[in-house]
Amino acid sequence: MHVADGVMAPEVWITAWVIALVGLALMFWKLDKRLDERTMPMMAILAAGIFVAQMLNFPVGGGTTGHLIGAALATILLGPYAAMLIITAILVIQCLVFGDGGITALGLNILNMAIIAPLVTYGVMTLIGERRSKAGTPVAAWASVFIAATVCAAQLALSYSISGGVYGITGALAFPAMMGYHAVIAVGEAIVTTGIVLFLAKVSPEMLRLNGKPAGA
Amino acid sequence: MDRKYIVVSIAILLVFSVGLVGFFLVSDGLPDGLDKTLEEHGTGEGTEPVWTAPLDYGSNYLSALVMGIVGFFITLLAVYGIVKLRKSVKDA
Repeated sequence: MHVADGVMAPEVWITAWVIALVGLALMFWKLDKRLDERTMPMMAILAAGIFVAQMLNFPVGGGTTGHLIGAALATILLGPYAAMLIITAILVIQCLVFGDGGITALGLNILNMAIIAPLVTYGVMTLIGERRSKAGTPVAAWASVFIAATVCAAQLALSYSISGGVYGITGALAFPAMMGYHAVIAVGEAIVTTGIVLFLAKVSPEMLRLNGKPAGA
Repeated sequence: MDRKYIVVSIAILLVFSVGLVGFFLVSDGLPDGLDKTLEEHGTGEGTEPVWTAPLDYGSNYLSALVMGIVGFFITLLAVYGIVKLRKSVKDA
């Protein structure tokens, strides 16, 4: 879901940058409560693992592929603020070092994948509750991707509307396409995220309490 | 560095090297959901990127594997550096 340069209207990507920077400032302010000698190396390794996982696109049919975002996994293991940092770092490195995603659109990518996706995960897991957190994991992971993609569709539609068709895609086309593809891609996210959480529950259950609370809390 | 972190890192890279085989077998060259949506409607075609990155993900298994390992360590060091800096600022 990495947006490139020249896709969205300037008004949209500039606004996204402002929202993203405000969100990141809040994240840095809130993050310190989670930082200790146990969580810090795991944050770094998790970020690096999600980076390589994002390189592995999987087919979802119709000549389309998807890839793990990893925001849900990071949120479930380390909480929303650590997840924001992890995904932001990945997106910045992907953009500046590997040319994946445009630099003007980086604010949009951070907003969608590093802020909205973790917050959706956190919200869903909070609603589902601690006792049903294992069942909540696939739901939260699916929702994180689907909602982020829907927001991206809204950004495309808004770009189209503001620019008179120079940028973006009309909402009548953007929403069904983005939501349709990502409803399926999100299933992949749910499967991978749940698989990893269940694996960790078996081999290293303390990993599921790295943020001081049960997974997702 | 704690031995378990080295073991976990090696395990992740091994899984990545295996997963990359599958990627090149079934997914290489295919667009993701956003790219497919944009392709279908011709949005963003012919637009040059504002920033020219020094690297890319590679066009074959070996180059993608090397770039993945490079990206793994850049990300690991960057995130560790950021959280270490944040903690030192908090403790100061």
